[in-house]
Amino acid sequence: MKPDDVAQAITQALVQGGSQWLVASLVAFLPAMWTLALILHIGRPYVVRTLRRCGLRLGADVWWMSYLLTRDGVLLVTLGMSLIFFMPALVVNNALPITGPLAALSLLLALAVKLSRRVDDDVAAFRLATVFLVAGATLYYIPLVFAVEGADQDYLKWFSDNLTSSSNPTVALTIMWISLAGVVLTAGWIFFRALASVNRKVAGRLPRTANIVPPTPAAPTRGGKAAIS
Amino acid sequence: MTPDQLAQAIVNGINDGGEQFLEGTLAAMLPVIWLALLGLHLGRPYILDMIDRFTLRLGADLLWLVYVALRDFLIVSGVVMSFMFFFPDVVTGVSLPLTGGLAASVLFGVLLIKLVGDPDHDPRTFSLVTWLLGLGAALYFIPYIFGVQAAGVATGTFADFSNFLVTSTNPNWAVALAYASVALLAIMGAIAVGYTLRTGGRAEAPEAQAQEATASTQA
Repeated sequence: MKPDDVAQAITQALVQGGSQWLVASLVAFLPAMWTLALILHIGRPYVVRTLRRCGLRLGADVWWMSYLLTRDGVLLVTLGMSLIFFMPALVVNNALPITGPLAALSLLLALAVKLSRRVDDDVAAFRLATVFLVAGATLYYIPLVFAVEGADQDYLKWFSDNLTSSSNPTVALTIMWISLAGVVLTAGWIFFRALASVNRKVAGRLPRTANIVPPTPAAPTRGGKAAIS
Repeated sequence: MTPDQLAQAIVNGINDGGEQFLEGTLAAMLPVIWLALLGLHLGRPYILDMIDRFTLRLGADLLWLVYVALRDFLIVSGVVMSFMFFFPDVVTGVSLPLTGGLAASVLFGVLLIKLVGDPDHDPRTFSLVTWLLGLGAALYFIPYIFGVQAAGVATGTFADFSNFLVTSTNPNWAVALAYASVALLAIMGAIAVGYTLRTGGRAEAPEAQAQEATASTQA
């Protein structure tokens, strides 16, 4: 092997290795993000209980604002990190949980519920968002623990053969495309709903022609300046 | 060796090294988190004493909220960072404390008690939380110090004992305890979800509030 070959091999290794390491890091952090998202969402009664004990409005507002930002921020970041489940090459070439795309779709549905209904005021909407989140987390955890992270255990061979994306690429790609269709539909619905909402608000703020009052010029005063009342 | 083989060897090295570095960092951070959350939980009387000395309500509120947020965030971080104890391949491949997964389950139990109970105002649940934190710390620190850290220097019977307390040198127990921890976590998670669904995310269940209201009206 010539020095150029070695340099080329190291370059290729750094590029490929860096890419794989990035994907592996995202996959390794996703369980942590899912757990954090679930704990923050399910822990709402505790947060509300603490909030009620604040003597001042300022403290309560700071507490609630921090909670909301962290909870919803973690949900958004988890959804962003789940993007890797919708990349066919990554799904086929990396050992990922086979139902990861469905978990991401459930997460998006929970976010859609939050966007379309007042989850913090409407008990039914809160329950619906909780169901979507728990379903998504279950779809992520089971193949991760028993298939991806149990591949070396002989008695878990069925799980690792069937529930890991790289060892069952046909089913993995089918699940991915179905989930992607669901994501596109949900995202499209959110987009057009947001657009319609903005249009309604803008239309509501526009003055009606019948109510327009023609502007009257200010009365001139000494020195040419208008009087300030 | 061909350039492709060399590239593949380096890729494998980067991936395996990165994974081990990540798991090693988490394992190194966990004792710090355990100590910090224990310190904050046991330091509650000191915080309450300080709150009594505030002349402004705003300062007292902010101190209490920062204390509660930090303390509970550390408990949540402890559970989240302990997730590697639930992965069979990780526990058999990396030197981790044998009962680390049980410690994580106990920590999750603390969160569950905080959710359904009121440890900051009910002395009984506060005592329960304290006992659970003590148990969790023992489950983490005993195998960590006498197993993971002492395995390299221990000799004779103590070496056997040390190896027993490390997951990679006691894989059968490690995997069995990982599954037991996963089962505990799943049961407690189901209870937490059931409670939150029943209350609808409110501090108390609406039915309980209605019953309390009825009882107070009748009284």
